[in-house]
Amino acid sequence: MGFGQFLAAPEIKLKIVTYRDVFQNTAQETSRFGEDYEKLSAVIKLDPKDMVKLSIKEGETVVVKNAFGKVVVTAQSSGHEEAHQGIAYMVNGPWSNALVPDETGGTGVPKFKDFEATVQGSKGEKVTGIRDIF
Amino acid sequence: MSEYYVCTGCALLCDDIEVDIEGNKVATVHAACRKGVARMKGCSDPMECTVDGEKAEVDTAISKAAEILSDAKNPLIFGHGNSSSEAQKRSIALAKKTGAYIDDTSSFCQGPIVEAILQDKIKTCTLDDVRHKADVIIFWGADPSNSHPRHLSRYSYFPRGKERQRGWEEDRTAITIDVRKSDTAVISGDNRFYQIPMGGDAEFMDALVSALSGKVPKTSYGFDVKRILELSGVLKKAKFGVICVGLGLVYSLEELEPLFKLMNKLNEVSDFNLIPMVGQYNMRGFNHDLFEETGYINRVKFNPETGEAEHGAEQSVVEALRNRSVDAALIIGSDPLSSLPLSVSRYLAEIPLITIDPCQNLTATRSTVTIPCALGGVEAGGTAIRMDGVEIEMKKIVDTDKLSDEEILTRITEAI
Ligand code: SF4
Repeated sequence: MGFGQFLAAPEIKLKIVTYRDVFQNTAQETSRFGEDYEKLSAVIKLDPKDMVKLSIKEGETVVVKNAFGKVVVTAQSSGHEEAHQGIAYMVNGPWSNALVPDETGGTGVPKFKDFEATVQGSKGEKVTGIRDIF
Repeated sequence: MSEYYVCTGCALLCDDIEVDIEGNKVATVHAACRKGVARMKGCSDPMECTVDGEKAEVDTAISKAAEILSDAKNPLIFGHGNSSSEAQKRSIALAKKTGAYIDDTSSFCQGPIVEAILQDKIKTCTLDDVRHKADVIIFWGADPSNSHPRHLSRYSYFPRGKERQRGWEEDRTAITIDVRKSDTAVISGDNRFYQIPMGGDAEFMDALVSALSGKVPKTSYGFDVKRILELSGVLKKAKFGVICVGLGLVYSLEELEPLFKLMNKLNEVSDFNLIPMVGQYNMRGFNHDLFEETGYINRVKFNPETGEAEHGAEQSVVEALRNRSVDAALIIGSDPLSSLPLSVSRYLAEIPLITIDPCQNLTATRSTVTIPCALGGVEAGGTAIRMDGVEIEMKKIVDTDKLSDEEILTRITEAI
């Protein structure tokens, strides 16, 4: 057992952009309560440099939170995307929607593709289940 | 001869689908994308008919739903993107009868674009025109490879068309403008991918207008001037251009003015059309139906006495929930607890809630009444409007005991 467990895991503030994924969408058609849907939805894509800052590895879970909500999701390193330090990508779904602010400036349109949240290693917490998001 | 069916997995409404049926179930789906296959085979957890969490007969659930809606002063009727046009019209009639708020997903996605098209403010064309004629295709804030998987293969990039016999290899140029290197951006190629910063779309449009007007294009984020000039050269030479507008662009623009300016400029120097990348299969149908009835495409509250439609941001589903101005809700073919920010939708769980859907979803888990309906395009037929405004006829493929959403809405209305 090292000192690590006594130190707070580093936390960084990131901008989040949501996107669509055909595999997640397919899983949603089959079942919103299935394992596949969770596996493909409860994910955040991070820039490799941000992962270093968070001292986490691909596949570990992170806590993503802001004033509107909090979810534990799996961290993934981005694939073919260009470097995007300071920006994270989350697939559109209940997990990202748990974090989208209710602020609209009276326009009726929330900022689904542009909001902020802090990300922190979770030290092994389990991904938030769909029924527990609420 | 083969029988072709329509896929309702997205607003492309692909109408070249063949199926094999085994024991009154769609067993194999041919030609659809993976999302379409999953849609047409149906979900693994169908919704049950319940009242207050207990299993109920459909008749009981319908009477309870009618009771909730007649007791409410300001009910909300929301969803509609996954319903036939016939069901949508029933829903509008029900909203009128109950003095309800009525809205759909377009209220927080493609609404402004569809509205501009219906008001003739933007030049548009059909997907068939795109297949046969388009040589320059811009995906702006759109990633059809994920959202509309057959867009590129059926219409916009890969196919041979009447005037595009050499397809993507020689006859078509795909351009992606996005904040993220999407799968569609990869297909467009590095050379034709323009990565802009978040919120940088309006400026990029202005810069393109400058370039197309022979001026030096400038952006506050210092986008490579040479690349913008080169892009404007490609757009100028287009014989038939199309901009496929995705949510990334819609959310980034505070107003549509920069888009109007760009479209006007493009049509001075060449020929450009615009198509909204509508998600749910009949969102556009709802916009057309409500527009016909009220002159507004979404965000309506009917006055209970006069039946007049009030329209504005305050009548939008998001503001109505934020302001807690509704006291009951009927959700059709939608799962707002998943698809809206939870900070907004959470309120739904505090009011009497009715869900009509073929499949179990999060909103159903918090509903007072849940009524399962037939799956549109598979267990029930009807009409729908494709993303480009073309009406598509859907045939029923298999029989079911379940009522269609149209029938359920008719019966609720009759019971009030
Ligand atoms: S692209 Fe859309 S309509 Fe076509 S098969 Fe896929 S989901 Fe269905």
